[in-house]
Amino acid sequence: MTFASPWFLLGLLGIAVPIYLHLYYRKTPVRKDFPSLRLIKLSVEFVARRRKMRNLLLMALRIITIILVVMALSKPFIGQSASARNSSDTPAAIVVLLDNSMSMGCTHQGISVFNTARGRALEILDQMQPGDRATVGLINDPGRLIFPQLTWDKDTLKKSISNVPLSMAGTSMASSILPGLKLLAPLKAYRRAIYVITDMTESSWQPFIDKYDLAKVEPGIDLIMVPVGGSAPDNMAITGLETEAPIIMTGRQIPVKITIANHSPRIRRSRVSVSINGERKIEEEIEVEANSVKDARIMATFAKTGMNHVSAAIQSDAMPFDDQRHLAVRVFEPCRVLLIKPDSMPGQPENREDTFVRFALNPLNRSKDNNFAVETRSTAEAKTAELKNFAAVCLINQRHLDAELIKRLSEYLMGGGNLITFMGNRVEPDWYNKHLIDDLGGSYLLPARIYKRVGNAVSRAVGYQMTDLDAGHPAFSIFARDGAGDPGRAQIFEFFQVRPNPTALLLARMSHGLPGIVEEKRGRGRSMLITFSADTSWTNWPVRPTWLPFLHQSLIAMITANELAIGTIRPGMPVSATITGEDARELMLKMPDNNRSKISVQTSAQGLVHLNTRDTEQTGYYEILTEGGNRVLSAFAVNPPAEESRLERINLRRIPRFIPLTHEAGRGQSVKEKVSLLRDGYDVSGAAMLALLLLAVIESWFANLPSARRVE
Amino acid sequence: MEKTRRLSRFLDPKLLAALSSMEIRARTVVEGMVEGLHKSPFKGFNVEFSEYRQYVPGDPLKDIDWKVYARTDKFYIKEHEEETNLSGYLVMDTSGSMSYKGQGSMSKIDYASTLAASLAYLMLKQQDSVGLVTFANGLRKMIRPRTGMAHLKAVCNELEATAASETTNIGASLDLVGQSMKKRGIFILFSDLMDNAEVIIQKLRQLRTRRHEIVLFHVLDRDEISFPFDDTTIFHDLEDESEIVTDAFQLRSEYLQRVRQLMNTFKSALRKSGIDYLIADTSMPLEANLRSFFSRRQAVSAR
Repeated sequence: MTFASPWFLLGLLGIAVPIYLHLYYRKTPVRKDFPSLRLIKLSVEFVARRRKMRNLLLMALRIITIILVVMALSKPFIGQSASARNSSDTPAAIVVLLDNSMSMGCTHQGISVFNTARGRALEILDQMQPGDRATVGLINDPGRLIFPQLTWDKDTLKKSISNVPLSMAGTSMASSILPGLKLLAPLKAYRRAIYVITDMTESSWQPFIDKYDLAKVEPGIDLIMVPVGGSAPDNMAITGLETEAPIIMTGRQIPVKITIANHSPRIRRSRVSVSINGERKIEEEIEVEANSVKDARIMATFAKTGMNHVSAAIQSDAMPFDDQRHLAVRVFEPCRVLLIKPDSMPGQPENREDTFVRFALNPLNRSKDNNFAVETRSTAEAKTAELKNFAAVCLINQRHLDAELIKRLSEYLMGGGNLITFMGNRVEPDWYNKHLIDDLGGSYLLPARIYKRVGNAVSRAVGYQMTDLDAGHPAFSIFARDGAGDPGRAQIFEFFQVRPNPTALLLARMSHGLPGIVEEKRGRGRSMLITFSADTSWTNWPVRPTWLPFLHQSLIAMITANELAIGTIRPGMPVSATITGEDARELMLKMPDNNRSKISVQTSAQGLVHLNTRDTEQTGYYEILTEGGNRVLSAFAVNPPAEESRLERINLRRIPRFIPLTHEAGRGQSVKEKVSLLRDGYDVSGAAMLALLLLAVIESWFANLPSARRVE
Repeated sequence: MEKTRRLSRFLDPKLLAALSSMEIRARTVVEGMVEGLHKSPFKGFNVEFSEYRQYVPGDPLKDIDWKVYARTDKFYIKEHEEETNLSGYLVMDTSGSMSYKGQGSMSKIDYASTLAASLAYLMLKQQDSVGLVTFANGLRKMIRPRTGMAHLKAVCNELEATAASETTNIGASLDLVGQSMKKRGIFILFSDLMDNAEVIIQKLRQLRTRRHEIVLFHVLDRDEISFPFDDTTIFHDLEDESEIVTDAFQLRSEYLQRVRQLMNTFKSALRKSGIDYLIADTSMPLEANLRSFFSRRQAVSAR
């Protein structure tokens, strides 16, 4: 409680007067003879209790009367906020946090919720008094304070609020509320308050109140909730869009999975359409149960190689921004894989060590409609091969390689090619270490140095098994599911002991701990070393069912490793990628609204270009173009977070410490008045005067109650 | 008249002159020695048997008919009719409370004494016998009934000599008076009745059961009836000297209610028992009180 004229409170000393009168003041009694006190005593007993009560009541009434007089003169203000408990002369320090997350984009009674919120923020700022300081912040993911320090400049604050756009990002309460609290914490001489203007979606508030104990917020800081948007509208949203093929080849039908969420208490139907590069391809009717999620699978065929824009849409509703979702996919020509097998010895039958790899990559030996187009060449024939036309090259049990081929392999690998090296009885460790590692300097080919052979493939006395499979690597992740097979059941009878390079990944070990399969990122490409043979001479893995998926997954992972992690980018998140250095000086980013911006790039010594951009506020399909904008180097899609589509409101009672400031248009006090009341409290002097008047009447009536009639 | 005035300060010649035409008339049948004036079949011993009545405490044991007791195991008194003139007993409360004098000219005891002296004069004048009993906490003085105007002096002297003091014990005093009265007659009791009302009513009823005619003058000062006090007051009890401090203004309503209740209690209870109950307000002229007494007696006598 605060007082406009606190010096009047000294009048409370006047309370002593009725207390003195009650306790000490007695009229000097008159002595009077009376025939007998018999009846008087009986009457006194009856009257005394009533009189005592009456006197106490009268004293209480008079004390309250004095208090009310003093209160009325002191002009008291009361309020539930901490601000209202301060003196009315104390300046205020306030932080106005405006929720501009995607969920604010829906409409309530035909009015944009976000515009309503912006209006509330402006009204709150309007209540700034001379000497008050404030800042404004945004609640999205990641949220921030627009002005890191408090300012007196009300106009600038209001202008910044007016210019705030609706974000397509999610909501992170902590990222703006916590900096706000930190900013206000030292300003103890101010009346401090944080106003949070939000639609109060449960999906954004629940994690916040679960993680942070708001009850521990300094009591001197008011947390004021300004809810907007009314109750949650029914909403249907596309919350997922992905292709279910590990690699997409032109002309091949692949399933596109669309996840549709129905955030409403009734069954809803909608027409789902899928477009590829802006061209509507497929439509399907879908029905989703109340408050549930359903997946729809639509088969799609891609005709264009390179980056493709896939979008899915449902019919628009109260929240239009989540009714469409985008996906950037790279479509490949069937991947050409070059197998380089040992030359056949004169007079000997043709070397067939490539057989298991070739059949694994193309089991039906089809020339079309296969993911991999496999070509096999001998070491001599490989000299003339145009390596850049191949997605991957497999070296199988090579003794020596021509220096020219080694150089071209090195360039191929560093430029983005992929190399798989199988060991075998022809491999000479010293030659491999010297020519494929040491002589190449930083452009070496192998991920590990090779030492001696372990085991005996002739006697097959000991069969080693692979353990410690890296289930996080795409090559083995497929086997993590139950029933998907276990490469560890294959037996390896002989292999090379190797020592992986410091930056190499160990994908599998042998059962006694030595490395089995090693992979290393080399430039833009990848190099994998398999320490045993590609045929059944040293291992029975090629005849086991896990061989084929291992090879497929390994090659797809290597080929697609440089692609952006599509489908995981949220609005406002930074995007980093490394691409080929052909047009390395400057790149362009084409945004969903067709505007283009420059992307800063960094070129490494190996000629790799690292790009980094934060221009991802819009949702949709982004293309990374060459400097002239002629060629698409890569693309990615930005989609709103799925949880923003859940518009259910959290009950305000579940949020501790927050004082609600609700307002319904056209009813009750305005937002400005309510802000003023929260800040200064209610002026209760009028009420005190009214109570005083009432009490005076009661006191007068009570004091003159006809407990006895005066003598006429 | 002058002779009478000299006789006592309680005999007001004007008052007596106004009352000279009045007579003491018993309500129904009253004993009296002057024949024709009081036709009353008195139940005594030396004349014809009249009736049996049940023994009540206070009756002399010698009057009990032991033969009847032997037959019925109950005490009965055998009564006989007897011709007698009126014996009047003036019973005067002389407790401390009677000394109260409010804003009127007389204290309660003076007022009651004047009433008593006046009635004694009238009764003696018509050849009836008059006795006087004064009591407070117990009997203080008893003058047996006698006839003749010479007896008036003795009554008046005693009235003048008696000062109001002590507390009141009406019940015990009435018991003693009842036992000492040999002849039935008319009891005229002057008291402010500052004692337990139930006991007083019970004792008066007992007297009435023994065929005494009873008239009760409830002597009250105007202050006791209207309680005209407003201030915080120390009330001093004239009987037991106790004191009480109270806000008279707040007390007034409750007090007046109790006084009214007390008077109504006496009025209803005594009249049911055939006892005349008269309020003697000391602020009222004595003549008015006596006139109301006589008019009442005459009305009853005419029945």
